[in-house]
Amino acid sequence: MARYGMALDYKNCINCKACEVACKEENGILMGADKHRIWVGVKEIEGEYPFLSIVSSSFEPSQCQHCDDAPCQEVCPTNATYYDENGVVRVNADKCILCSYCMNACPYDARYVDDRTMTVDKCNFCSDTRLARGETTTACQNTCPTKVRTFGDLDDPNSEISELLRTREHFSLKSHLGTKPKLFYLT
Amino acid sequence: MAETIQQKQSIKEFIATIPFNKIGIKDLLNFEKTPRNMLVAVITLAFLAFFVLGVATYLMHGHHAYNVTREHPWGLLIAVYIFFVVSSTGLCIVGSLGDVFGFKDYEMISKRAIFGSIVTIMAGFAVIAFEIGHPVTMLIYNVLSPGLTSAIWWMGTLYGLYLTFMIIEFVFLLKHNMKMAKFFGLTGLLVGLAAHSNLGGVFGFLNARTISNGVFYPTYFILTAFITGIFIAFIMMGFRYKLQFPENAKVMLANLAKIQGLLISILIFFVTWKFLTDIYGDMPNRADVAVHILGSWTFWAEVVLAMLIPLFIILKDMGKNLTGMFWASLSGMVGVFFMRYNLVHDTQLKPLQMMKTTEYQLAPSWVHYFPSITEIMISLGGLGLCILLYYVGTKLFSLDADEHH
Repeated sequence: MARYGMALDYKNCINCKACEVACKEENGILMGADKHRIWVGVKEIEGEYPFLSIVSSSFEPSQCQHCDDAPCQEVCPTNATYYDENGVVRVNADKCILCSYCMNACPYDARYVDDRTMTVDKCNFCSDTRLARGETTTACQNTCPTKVRTFGDLDDPNSEISELLRTREHFSLKSHLGTKPKLFYLT
Repeated sequence: MAETIQQKQSIKEFIATIPFNKIGIKDLLNFEKTPRNMLVAVITLAFLAFFVLGVATYLMHGHHAYNVTREHPWGLLIAVYIFFVVSSTGLCIVGSLGDVFGFKDYEMISKRAIFGSIVTIMAGFAVIAFEIGHPVTMLIYNVLSPGLTSAIWWMGTLYGLYLTFMIIEFVFLLKHNMKMAKFFGLTGLLVGLAAHSNLGGVFGFLNARTISNGVFYPTYFILTAFITGIFIAFIMMGFRYKLQFPENAKVMLANLAKIQGLLISILIFFVTWKFLTDIYGDMPNRADVAVHILGSWTFWAEVVLAMLIPLFIILKDMGKNLTGMFWASLSGMVGVFFMRYNLVHDTQLKPLQMMKTTEYQLAPSWVHYFPSITEIMISLGGLGLCILLYYVGTKLFSLDADEHH
């Protein structure tokens, strides 16, 4: 029993997309599929030459925020979306009816239709793969060359992520919606 | 044991004594071959052919036959489903005026309206069955693992119950058992209103979609259902009497027109205030979306066809121009279709992710959607199905008010 979350030192991201590749490889995601499970958002430089705002340019790695109060879970008519024992928001494909309500309700656009199963899928922190094998890292974290991601148990005060969240300022995306995301962006 | 057998027999007897006309294909083809009737027949058959074609394409290609995307997962079929269930709830309200609330003037339309509410919701279910990816799984897990916090669960389950109550009410109306019809009518109406406001809740609960979030849609759906019900009442009665209305129909329709005038005025008031509150203060993701909606032709189609034209016809002669109201109701129904389409599309206008994710791509702005030919064919097919079922009903049952009550 844990409460998994992820901290992202997003300013270190160099948009190499190794995380996307690793995720596809590890979790069997369709090759070439855009924004399936994880992605890196690109904010371009604002302004016109020579008045370019260099600080406006940023990369924002993103994925399912594994909210404690997940709107996608609340709206699911068949409880196909559920919280597992580790607080990870997961999908039981057998129960999914593809009504797409979760896709509309998720404020982070983290849900997509898997064309093979014709059900709505999402990131599950490698619960079916790496965590099931007893590993303690996710594929995206493991491969990141600039160590953007730190995955761990938020309830364990000795975990690396707990230490990071105690010592670094951080924010969550769209926290005003009350979703209580478990992805934390370090500043 | 003996009691169970007796009960079974009495149920059998109850079903066997439901009054209906024995008809065959010949009877169905036996209608006055006027140009108007022939046109309606040809259009209905064409729509049914579209339905078969559309469903066949869907069965071969799945959701790839639709233009729905990750950013716009709900398309035309959801809008058409809402169009039909709103029509059903509206007809249920209109039908209830006479047989539930006891307004004598409206009793003449009760049976027809209740039958209409049954066929419209069946058409709605026929359409949504090809939008939901796994309808059979839905039937199973709706029961085995119900998502009680989901507005879709409540809406679907209550609509299922509603259809059952409507059918029972209709049977009692056919049997002239007004007491039981009133009981099931009232129950069905309450369940239907709950289902319908939950349908509004499906959109109202979307915290992520600021333009739709809130109390507006659950209440607005009930108001627009009543308006839609009155439009369809005019269309059904217009076809029934070929616009030569008898005296009692004139009284009823003139009253309905006056009610409609009031309802449309309230609707205009509601919509005006929705847009004022949406735009005021420039709240991000709401004000910009509202301004964008005001610039779309489909919004103005909704306003002109469903609000301004019918209201103008009503106010011009204080609801006494019944032929005008028939045509205004046809215009109104087209407007109501746009109302539903806009509701679904506008909810999804604003992308939830505003960053680009691949090179050589522009950052997302507005989400675009136009229905595919398959979606259009299935939608028109739903309308064809609705007209066919209604036509069969007019032959199979006596939908006029009974003389003796």
